[in-house]
Parts: sequence; C-alpha cells; structure tokens
Amino acid sequence: MQQTKPYISTPELTFPKVGFLSAEQWIVGSHVLTGLVALLIGIFLGPFQVFRRAPALKWEIPVFSYYYQALTVHGVLNALFFTTFFIVGFSYFILMRSLKREMWSTKLVWIAYALMLIGLLLVLYALITNQANVLYTFYPSLIAHPAFYLGLVLLVVGTWIVTANLFLTYNLWRKENPQEHLPLAVFATLTNFVLWCVASLGVAIEVLFMLLPLSLGLITHTDPQAGRALFWFFGHPLVYFWLLPAYTSWYTMLPKQANSKIFSDPLARVSFILLMIFSIPVGVHHMFTDPGVSAVMKGIQTVFTFIVAVPSLLTAFNVGAMLERAGRNRGAKTPFDWMWKQDWKNPVIAAQISAMLLFITGGVTGIMNASLTLNIALHNTSWIPAHFHQTLGGAVTLTFMGICYWLIPMIRGRGLYSVKMALWQVHTWSIGMMIFGYTYGAAGLIGVPRRTDLGAAPYINPEAVPYLNMSIISGVLLLISAILFFINMAGTMLLSKKQLTEEAPIDTYVESKSPLWMEKWGLWLSIVGILCVIAWAPVFLEVVDFTHGFQIPGYSPNGGLYKP
Amino acid sequence: MHIDRLERYWIIAVGVVFGAFAAAIVASVVVFGVHLPSPVGRIDPAKLAESEFAKPGLTQDSEHAYTLRMVAKMWRFDIGSKEPQPTIKLPAGSRLKIVATSLDVTHGIYVERHDVNVMLLPGQISQVEVLFSKPGIYHIICHEYCGPGHQAMIATIEVS
Repeated sequence: MQQTKPYISTPELTFPKVGFLSAEQWIVGSHVLTGLVALLIGIFLGPFQVFRRAPALKWEIPVFSYYYQALTVHGVLNALFFTTFFIVGFSYFILMRSLKREMWSTKLVWIAYALMLIGLLLVLYALITNQANVLYTFYPSLIAHPAFYLGLVLLVVGTWIVTANLFLTYNLWRKENPQEHLPLAVFATLTNFVLWCVASLGVAIEVLFMLLPLSLGLITHTDPQAGRALFWFFGHPLVYFWLLPAYTSWYTMLPKQANSKIFSDPLARVSFILLMIFSIPVGVHHMFTDPGVSAVMKGIQTVFTFIVAVPSLLTAFNVGAMLERAGRNRGAKTPFDWMWKQDWKNPVIAAQISAMLLFITGGVTGIMNASLTLNIALHNTSWIPAHFHQTLGGAVTLTFMGICYWLIPMIRGRGLYSVKMALWQVHTWSIGMMIFGYTYGAAGLIGVPRRTDLGAAPYINPEAVPYLNMSIISGVLLLISAILFFINMAGTMLLSKKQLTEEAPIDTYVESKSPLWMEKWGLWLSIVGILCVIAWAPVFLEVVDFTHGFQIPGYSPNGGLYKP
Repeated sequence: MHIDRLERYWIIAVGVVFGAFAAAIVASVVVFGVHLPSPVGRIDPAKLAESEFAKPGLTQDSEHAYTLRMVAKMWRFDIGSKEPQPTIKLPAGSRLKIVATSLDVTHGIYVERHDVNVMLLPGQISQVEVLFSKPGIYHIICHEYCGPGHQAMIATIEVS
C-alpha cells in the first residue's frame, strides 16, 4: 500500500545553483552584513591596541577616549556581535539550502533579527558614551550602564528564537522525510545551537539576576566569584559556538570547493556530538587561579577539557585526509606534497587552509592553558590573547572571511570584486596573526599582563620590550589585511560588475548511512544535564554564599561606587 | 559504524598523548608540589577593619618564613605603606605566604619568575606560598582589569 505523506507537505523550493532566491538574499544578507558592520568597528581597534602597548610607539587610541574603552569595543563587537550575527545568517543559509525549504517562520526570523539589532544599538550606546568599560567578560563588581546588559539580553533572547526556528524547520522536514539522512551541515548547525542554548543559560542567569538588577538599582550587592562561575559556564562553550560553523565549512563545503570528498561522515557527526556534550563541563579551566573553587573541581574539569580536545583532533585527521585527496587529485605524489598542491590561488580555499594552520598553534596552546598546574605560568598574561587570536582571530575569523568570499558575491549576485586583493588579505592575515601569537605569547611567558594599558604603565619588564615592539609588525599587517577585506566587501556590494560564476558549496547529497540515533536530541541533553551535575553543581555550591548572600556593592568602571 | 584503519591508529595515538599529558599534570602536583590556589575562606570587604587585614603588611613568622597581608583596591596594593607602588624587602631563601583579598572589584596578582598567579576577589581570601631562592627584583603585577588605573597597580619584592 502506498504510504500517505503526513502533515503539511510544502513543495520543495528550487534554489538557483548560482545566486540566491530573494528571500535567502534578504535573510542571509541582512544578518551577515550586520555582523560585518560590527566587525568593521571592532577590528580596527585591534592594531591600535598593539601600537598602544608597544613601548616604541605608545600611540593614543584614535577616536575612542582611551585604551580600556577601545578594548571593550574590540572584544564585544568582534567576539559577541560579529560572530553571532554571522553564525545566525550562515545557519539560516545552511538549513534552507540543505533541506530545500524556507524557514519554519520568516516572521520569527525578522523578530529575532530586530531584537539582536536593538541589542547591538543599545550596547553601542553604552560603549560609545563611556558607560560600559567593563570588557567583554563584564565581571562583577564592575557595573556598566543598564543599556549594556539589556542589549546583551536582547542578543541572547534573539538567538533563542533563532534556535526555535531552526529546530522547528528541521522538525517539519523530519516529519515529511522520516527515513532520510540528515545532511551533515544541518546536523552540525543543530548541535551548535543546542550547545549555545545550554551555555547561554549561565550568562542569562548572571545578567538577569545579578548584573541588570544591580545596574538598575533594584538590588545593591553582588558576588564576583558566583558571577565568574556563571560567566564561564557560558564562556567556554561560547568559543565552540564560534568554532563549529568553521568546522561545518571545513567538513561540508571545503570538499566541494577543493574538488574532494569528505573522508568520514559518521566520524564527523561523532565529533559534533562530542563537542556539543563536552564543551559544557569545562569552563572552570578559566578559573584555575580563582580562590573560591576547590582544586578537586579544577582537576575534574581539566579531564573534561582534555576530552573535548579529542573531537578537534578527529577533525584534524578527517579534514586532513580530505585535503590529501584534493592534493592527490591535483597531482601530488609524495607523502607530504599534497599540503602545498592545493588550490592556493582560490581565496576561499587559501583562507580556510590558512585558518587550519593557525588552529594548530591555537589548539596546542589551548591544551596548555587547560593543563591545571601549567596554567599558573599563563593565566591572564598576554599569552592568553596570543592563544585566542590563533583560534578565534585565526581559525574562526579567517574561515568566516573565506566564507564571505563566496557568500557576499551570492548575496549581491555579482562576482567577487578582486580575487588578488582577497589573496593578499588572506596571507597578510595569517602571517600577522602568527607574528602576533609569537610575540604576545613570548611576552606573556615573561610576565606581561593581558588587558593592561602598557602605554601608561610605570613598569614593563625590559626583557619583554623587544617582543612588544616586534608585535607592531603584526599590527601593521593585520591593519592592512582588514582594510583589504573591507574594500573587497564594499567593492563586491557596490562596484563589482563581474558575473557570478561560483555555485553555493552545499552538498545535499548524503552518501553515508549515518544512523538515526545520532539525532536523539533528548538523549544528548540528558547527558549534558548529568555532566552539569557532576562538573558544575559542586562548583556552584562552593561559590555561592548561602548564609550571607550577596555582600559586595557595585563599582563604576570609571572609579568609585556605582550609582544607578 | 566503519572506522578507517589509519584513523583508528590516530585515535589511539591521541589517547596515549592525552594520557601522558594527564600523567605530567599528576606529577607536577605530586612530585614537584605545584599547587593551585584553593579556598581558604570568605570575608566581607565592609568588615576588613575587624579582620586580619586591619593592618596589612609584612610579618616575620620564623627565621625564613614571612607572611604578607595585602588588600588590593582601585588602584594599588595596600601593604601598609602610603606609596603608590610599595616595596617589600626579603632575604634570599625566604618562604613568603601571601594572604590577600580585594576591597572593591576583581584584581589579581602575578609575581615575576615565580609560581604565583591568583585572582583577588572581593568576598574571598586568596592564599599562596612562594620561595624566593635567588636575589633579585621581582614585581607583583595586577593582572586583571580593574578600571582606568589598572596598569599602575604594581608592587615590588626586593630579594637580597
């Protein structure tokens, strides 16, 4: 008997191979471009911090009033707003293209976008008026203007709506195609939003029940140690929320771009499941030097942090094997020549492979940071920004730039403005980040602190001065790279007259028979819950003072007690 | 689920490497005695005057053992002197116990060339011990952003 197709059967959309449907264009375009505007403001403040911290220059920060304001803007706009807007737009694109359907609700797409945009404007207001110089970790008891926290709340609530929309879209598709294999890119995107939603509970509780009420004057006291625990419950999975879309591109889009094939689809899925689960019970490795957390809990979370490194090493093998295949297709013969027999003339490929190379140092330094006792030598020194400029600034941002080199042309319906400029941008970026990593890493080992206005400091270790001066080179290269990137983006949007030739690199064809049990979201969430009880419940019991409650008043980041 | 032979070797190698890393960490604690800061107690920053932090400063406990009580505040380390960047003097071979807290916001201390790296939070007491075996000048640096004066929050330890 013919099985009846259940539920509302929406006709499959026929997406153009080259170019976008207008609905796609608006949804993906508005999110990605808003993200790029945030990046435009945030990115240019980076090199000027390097110039400010170099003893040979000690330049004042341009436009913004001083170092810590610029540092807050740089962190908040790049790491919180650019990433989130870009990832949301990219995720919508993946779902619509791979499942060949519109989002569950287009109205919800715009409601979420509006919330996130208002969030961005509120945060910008607080930052520009110098009322929120609390850096992007906003540790209490430094208290910012309420607009800062309200903006962050709106950003997070927006992403929750996005998550609901993504899952409802997937659910509809699943009901209509109960046996079909879920495309890997969609699977990865869904794991990413699961981990994001779980993680954001921590920061939501911190902002809604501690920071925002104090900032509004509804409560008068807070607890910095509890605030830090809630923040890092969120803060480490957050870095995986940035990283997973880059992995998604390496696993599912780069094979098509490089004319190769994914090596192992099931193991890729296992990696994403492991990342989704084990990114949660690891945040204490940011608090190894905190006085209020016991050494036992620090040890337990070290073990989990080592476990979460495993799926990244699986990814290294899987993606490496895929690239070897690409190199062999291009005539590589010896064991290692496939590495340079890649299509380095294609900026989309060059950007992603360079991003992977940066991620090697990023990953190794990350494992060092997580190594319990070794952390004493590294915590809060300039080693840490060196590390996360290889991961977030390197692997993630450079991959996102590589994605922009095909995505922005599709949004505009024109070819990339300049391929040559894009190649220069990729190479200046990766060399710049390598030099930044080397110089700031070395300075950190000598004891130069991070997040410090060295241009005004009465003391800098003389041994670190050559490294800090050498970092000027990285600042110059990265500044050039950023300028090239934005000229190319603006050129593609406004000036390009080239024809669009590249296809969207989405493979809806699923070769592997990936088992359906991998989509047991309830099971994964239960495991996350159990791990939270093991790894986080004791930490919260330690850090919350149940007898006295909150005892610490808020302070203004400009000095003195905070006045609402 | 099929796993390629080479990939299986890779997974085993990853397991072995992380096992070795974990063993190294255990050795650093058990054999070399590196310890992370651990909870020693809470304190209400409004009541510092009634606590061991009422008179911050250096005290000698025995011939080679000293205790430094310190209150971090926006934007200096209070160890009992009025100088913005105070100095303490110790003979080489001294074992120093640093007991510190914060009066207002999150601060931190990092001592150059020594295993001292700890956050100072209002409401929490931080305690670390460190041996100064070689003469020299070592700075205590505040390593957590605490407002516009953060970069000047430095103290000096002179070991002679």
